[in-house]
Amino acid sequence: MSRRAQENLAAAALLAVFSGVIWLCQDFGPRARMIPLPLAVFGIVLTVIQILWQNLRSTEELHMDMISVQGPGAAATPGAGAGAAAKPGKRVTWRQEAGALGIVGALLGLILVTGIIPAVFLFTGGYFLMTRQYSWRASLIYTGVLTAVVYLLFVVALQIQPYHGLLAPLVEHF
Amino acid sequence: MLEAIGTGLAALLTPQAVLFMFIGVVYGLVIGILPGLGGVVAMALLLPFTYGFEKAATLALLLGAHIATIWGDSVTSILFSVPGSAKGLALCFDGYPMTKQGQAKRALAASATGALLGGLIGAVFLALCIPLIRPVILALGPSEYLMMALWGLTVIATFSQGSLMKGLIASLLGVLAAFIGMDVVTATPRFTFGSEFLMDGISFPVAMIGLFAVSEMMKLAIQGTPIVDRSLVTEVSTVWQGIKDALQHWWLVARSSLLGLWIGVLPGVGASVAGLAAYAQAVQTSKTPERFGKGAVEGVIAPDATMGANEGGGLMPTLAFGIPGGESMAILLVAFISLGIVPGPDMLTKHLDLVFSMVWIIVIANVLVTVIGLGITPWLARLPSLQANLMVPVVLSVCFVGAYATRGRIEDVLVATVFGVLGYLMDKYQYSRANFVIGMVLAVMIERNLHISLTLYGKDFLLQRPIALAMLAFVLLTAALPFLRNWRRNRKRGAA
Repeated sequence: MSRRAQENLAAAALLAVFSGVIWLCQDFGPRARMIPLPLAVFGIVLTVIQILWQNLRSTEELHMDMISVQGPGAAATPGAGAGAAAKPGKRVTWRQEAGALGIVGALLGLILVTGIIPAVFLFTGGYFLMTRQYSWRASLIYTGVLTAVVYLLFVVALQIQPYHGLLAPLVEHF
Repeated sequence: MLEAIGTGLAALLTPQAVLFMFIGVVYGLVIGILPGLGGVVAMALLLPFTYGFEKAATLALLLGAHIATIWGDSVTSILFSVPGSAKGLALCFDGYPMTKQGQAKRALAASATGALLGGLIGAVFLALCIPLIRPVILALGPSEYLMMALWGLTVIATFSQGSLMKGLIASLLGVLAAFIGMDVVTATPRFTFGSEFLMDGISFPVAMIGLFAVSEMMKLAIQGTPIVDRSLVTEVSTVWQGIKDALQHWWLVARSSLLGLWIGVLPGVGASVAGLAAYAQAVQTSKTPERFGKGAVEGVIAPDATMGANEGGGLMPTLAFGIPGGESMAILLVAFISLGIVPGPDMLTKHLDLVFSMVWIIVIANVLVTVIGLGITPWLARLPSLQANLMVPVVLSVCFVGAYATRGRIEDVLVATVFGVLGYLMDKYQYSRANFVIGMVLAVMIERNLHISLTLYGKDFLLQRPIALAMLAFVLLTAALPFLRNWRRNRKRGAA
């Protein structure tokens, strides 16, 4: 998918969000919607202008807009966001992005299923083994140390009650 | 007064007070470095351990821990672009680029020295200004606070360089995200979709963990290389360079410290706003604003000096009126009550020695943090060169545990994931994440003060509040400044 198409998709998603806010605001009283409603309308106006603008410019100028503050070089600022994907010379494929999303999803899934502390152990150990960065013995040591540190810091020192996961009732049953 | 200064210091020289101060500072540094946990959590967790000890020792433990979290927050912002809490956000903008350029030692040292100088200036002004600040605070009302919040919004232009339209859209999204939950004014549940969890709103630290830490780790997993590849970029800076930078930019440090002190004095504004305002002030007053965002050391010094001084400022209303300057000061008030201390005008007459003990705590804790910080900087600076395959699982795990620890709710882990993906997409399509957070931080303050102003003074509240009107003029002027600068630059280019 071209960069322009991706930008248009992102802008369309924003339009949907702002429209959703306007729709939801209809259920609120006048004071509760006093700020969100005009902001959402303003958001729609800005997004429509952005869509028009990005479709009238060349692909190279997509990081700019009609009320740009500084020159094109300024787009490299962290505030404006200079993602890895935007770096010249290193094209990011959707497979890589799906992989990164999968990593985050895997940790989330493990936490929900097994609970916080076992998830840290399983995720870190699994990651080390899959990437083959370290030998299985070194992976086990690093994983054990990290899990112990997390446990000591959060559970013992800070006395935070850990989440035990969806499997906890099953484990307790047996 | 001189006697009170001496008595205040003497109370801190007992073995118990010295030990508590050291424990507090080390503990605060660790908590500050952990994502999602800041000064508020550090103090709240210490509260149960404060009963039955000397007053000065207890305050040294609490305030020492709180002060140490400031630099702890800055460390992860500078090294990994992962703010420990909302107040560390401003450090990401120039600290992280400095790390990537092999200047991590310089950035960390400049940050520690900036925070020390800011803390010292804050402490001195706290001592001098307590009797003077009372009429100033009483002169300000909700309309003036509203203008302060609007002034905070003017920094959006600073973080939107190159794409103001997208920057504005990002900040609007942030404002709307802050409205998720129970409306504080009308008690209407907004955008909660019937979820009990969403009634409490989105937690700022959790959103920050997602937007910055999780999305940065996603980027790192994609790149597969360390944040700083030592085969391409070597560490070229020294700790001494950072110290010199902070001392050379003494005027920036002084300005930023006074700004931090002022924001600290205003109840409910907070250090997160202070850091962002300091960064904006540094950009707006710089002769070379184009260097900011690309590794300008001033972008590290200004927020840290402001946040260092902010603590002194926050103590003023807490001690003089019993009005907490922020969340952490509210916890300090709880500690005061348990220690039998009653904040108010009496503090400035009958308990002046205790006030000066706190001034000394700020001074000593800042010095201690800086000494420890500068000592461990060479080791900390090596962290960004660790392999991505080590960093990603470790940082992601700690961030998710941190997100859970913020409120002890598993749904917050889900929120951190959602914000992580959102942060990645915003970064990819260049919708400023910083503006999103600024919108989130200022939204509630703007809405609450607007409603109160309308209720108290009616629709023409600006006409009835001349200070607010003058502040609005200042806000408009500040907002127009980047455009004026751009117009002048374009005109010069055209002429050339």
